[in-house]
Amino acid sequence: MLRNKTYPFYFTLATIALYTLFLVVPGVMGFYYSLTDWNSFSDEINFIGLDNFKTLFSSGEHYMSYVYNTLNFTVSTVVLKTALGLLFAIALNEGIKMKGFHRVMVFMPAIIPMLVVGLVFKSVLNPATGLLNETLRYVGLDFLAQKWLVDVNWAFKSIIAVDTWKGVGYIMIILLAGLQSISKSYYEAASIDGANLWHKFRYVTIPLLMPSLVVTTVLNLLYGLKVFEAVYVLTNGGPGYATDVVYTAIFKEFSMGRYGVGTALSTMLFVFMTIAGYFIIRLMTKGEDERS
Amino acid sequence: MKRFTAVCTSIILTSALLTACGGNNNSEPSASQSATPSASQGESTETASNSGAAKKDITLTYLASQDWIKDAEMELAKKFEEKTGIHIDYQIIPADQYFNVLKTKLNSGEGPDLFGGQSGKSEISLNYNAQKNAVDLSDQEWVKREDPLSVDQLTLNGKVYAQTIWDTSNSYVIVYNKKVFAEQGLNVPTTYAEFKDAALKIQKAGITPLYEPVADGWHHVLWFAEPGPQYDKLQPNLYEDLNANKTNFETSAPMLTSLTQLKEMYDLGLFGDNALSDTFADMANQMASGKFAMALMTQDLPQQIEKINPELKATDFGFFVIPLADNQIYYVNPGGPSKFVYSGGKHIEEAKQYLGFLAEPENLQYLLDNTPTFSNLNFSGLKDKYSDEQKKLHETYPVKGTDIQDYVNYVNPQWMDMGKDIVGMFGGAAEPVDVLKSIDKRRSDMAKIAKDEGWNK
Repeated sequence: MLRNKTYPFYFTLATIALYTLFLVVPGVMGFYYSLTDWNSFSDEINFIGLDNFKTLFSSGEHYMSYVYNTLNFTVSTVVLKTALGLLFAIALNEGIKMKGFHRVMVFMPAIIPMLVVGLVFKSVLNPATGLLNETLRYVGLDFLAQKWLVDVNWAFKSIIAVDTWKGVGYIMIILLAGLQSISKSYYEAASIDGANLWHKFRYVTIPLLMPSLVVTTVLNLLYGLKVFEAVYVLTNGGPGYATDVVYTAIFKEFSMGRYGVGTALSTMLFVFMTIAGYFIIRLMTKGEDERS
Repeated sequence: MKRFTAVCTSIILTSALLTACGGNNNSEPSASQSATPSASQGESTETASNSGAAKKDITLTYLASQDWIKDAEMELAKKFEEKTGIHIDYQIIPADQYFNVLKTKLNSGEGPDLFGGQSGKSEISLNYNAQKNAVDLSDQEWVKREDPLSVDQLTLNGKVYAQTIWDTSNSYVIVYNKKVFAEQGLNVPTTYAEFKDAALKIQKAGITPLYEPVADGWHHVLWFAEPGPQYDKLQPNLYEDLNANKTNFETSAPMLTSLTQLKEMYDLGLFGDNALSDTFADMANQMASGKFAMALMTQDLPQQIEKINPELKATDFGFFVIPLADNQIYYVNPGGPSKFVYSGGKHIEEAKQYLGFLAEPENLQYLLDNTPTFSNLNFSGLKDKYSDEQKKLHETYPVKGTDIQDYVNYVNPQWMDMGKDIVGMFGGAAEPVDVLKSIDKRRSDMAKIAKDEGWNK
């Protein structure tokens, strides 16, 4: 019996070794370095306790606004991508014309690299010569023309909009697959019980789509918390520090050679992502557990 | 028999694998070989450079910010390749992202063979950690011919870490359209008040007073940093006291005045509506369009404008210094974008060879003659191209001083951050004094890391 139990363990040894070497060890080392003054200008690495974290929370720099921006981006994109993705998925799941064409059109931005999307939108959103403002002016909607990426009030919203445009197709595909796995018999039974469209959506579609929604929400959440490219390419954190997020700050710290502070920021983000991911999964699978 | 076949097969496969792994040894020397070449290797390199014989099949990667590599230098690189077989692979990064990309590469040990960087003692020690990341070039022949002021900006503990080949007239001055000024009955301003009045009058006439490319993140900082000698004059010994940590930016009245005036210019709309998205690369085009009356630029802008719009002649433009804080001193920057050889590179000797080639007198003259933006270079024995307006500029402002970025420690390494702070100030997120406080905070952080005596008593 004991042999039967240990036998599979031998097969997992290589995986455990790789996991330990490439994930556990760097993770633990990263945590240790976040408690040191490690930088590129000195060969000495001294233990300084929680000083790096104190710097993050109390210094006159902009770290807390980076955290706020990251959360703002995450919540906004989770809500927008899920809502729009669901809308598109439902539309494509119903009998709209040219279903394949629409599916490709919505999904296509998801396969374009963010760098390319960023460069294109940087041009499109230029306040003076950009396609968007030019079009608005051409059709007489001058008052809607904005300084999309350089106005403090609009820059972050513009990043969220561009990222949503790029990411919504991916979410749509997952939700569409979820919708297509729901048996029509549920809707037929609901119709017999006199349910209207809203009731069917609320009491049939949403509960049965919940596994897909959990997946998309967690994916969006993790993506949102580690957003970098969209901000870096579109605004590089500007105007001023208005759109800087945690990852651009980490990048900046490492580029300045302040590895200790950069690692502390990474550690903080890791802890936050773990906690947020855990609670989101628990919250969204609560109903499922109760049902089972 | 099967066993025999298996053994033979494995021997053949292993041999093939080993041969493949060692296949590059002939084409490229190993890192250790090229990093520490023997005397005979050095001789063969010299011979290859001079005669064109024994060409090498090597590519040098060269990372630089946009606008640092001139077309003429690329032509010289082609000649260098023809001569030696060494190809230069230019990797040009947008200015607003360059330093982050470079420093990330350096700090992660992934530097290119050659990298561009700004000169300045605190810049090269703190931004690039030159003593660790750059090769000592003190023994190179061209060092003796380079302007000692330029060399000094790249020297740490007696070792020269880079080569500057840059325009000696690269001081950014206000280039103004003389016709617009004449039409409005304006004279060259000598105080900020006169400058503001002139700009408002131009604005009233329907012309945007100044083209200011804030989008690149660095240009608008010039407004604050260049009139440094004036701050030093108004607050005696300011430069020395800043370097000794006896005073700071926050309490400097001239600096506060300058930033307050800069904000006032932005608030008055003197930079137009789209300054935050305007780019440096578009400056000559915009000035050539006639929509703008002035721009803060190097003294080659008039030639660029004439090239784009022949109706506007280079002689239609004049120069004056930034008049913030009533400045009337011509500020000099003895440095400029410089070329470093990465200490971890595989082709250190070849990189040195390229720098030696660029610094040959005939190649320097070629670069000067074929770069419209250059009037003179920081090497002896060259024929300059100073225009009459440049000569007039030098006569008008006989008093000269070094700008902040080169004189005051820990300023240049935070240039882009200062740019962000100033944009924040433009947007109302910060006051001028907050910008100064941020500069002090970063200087203090850098000085502590550098174990500067002034900050670590």
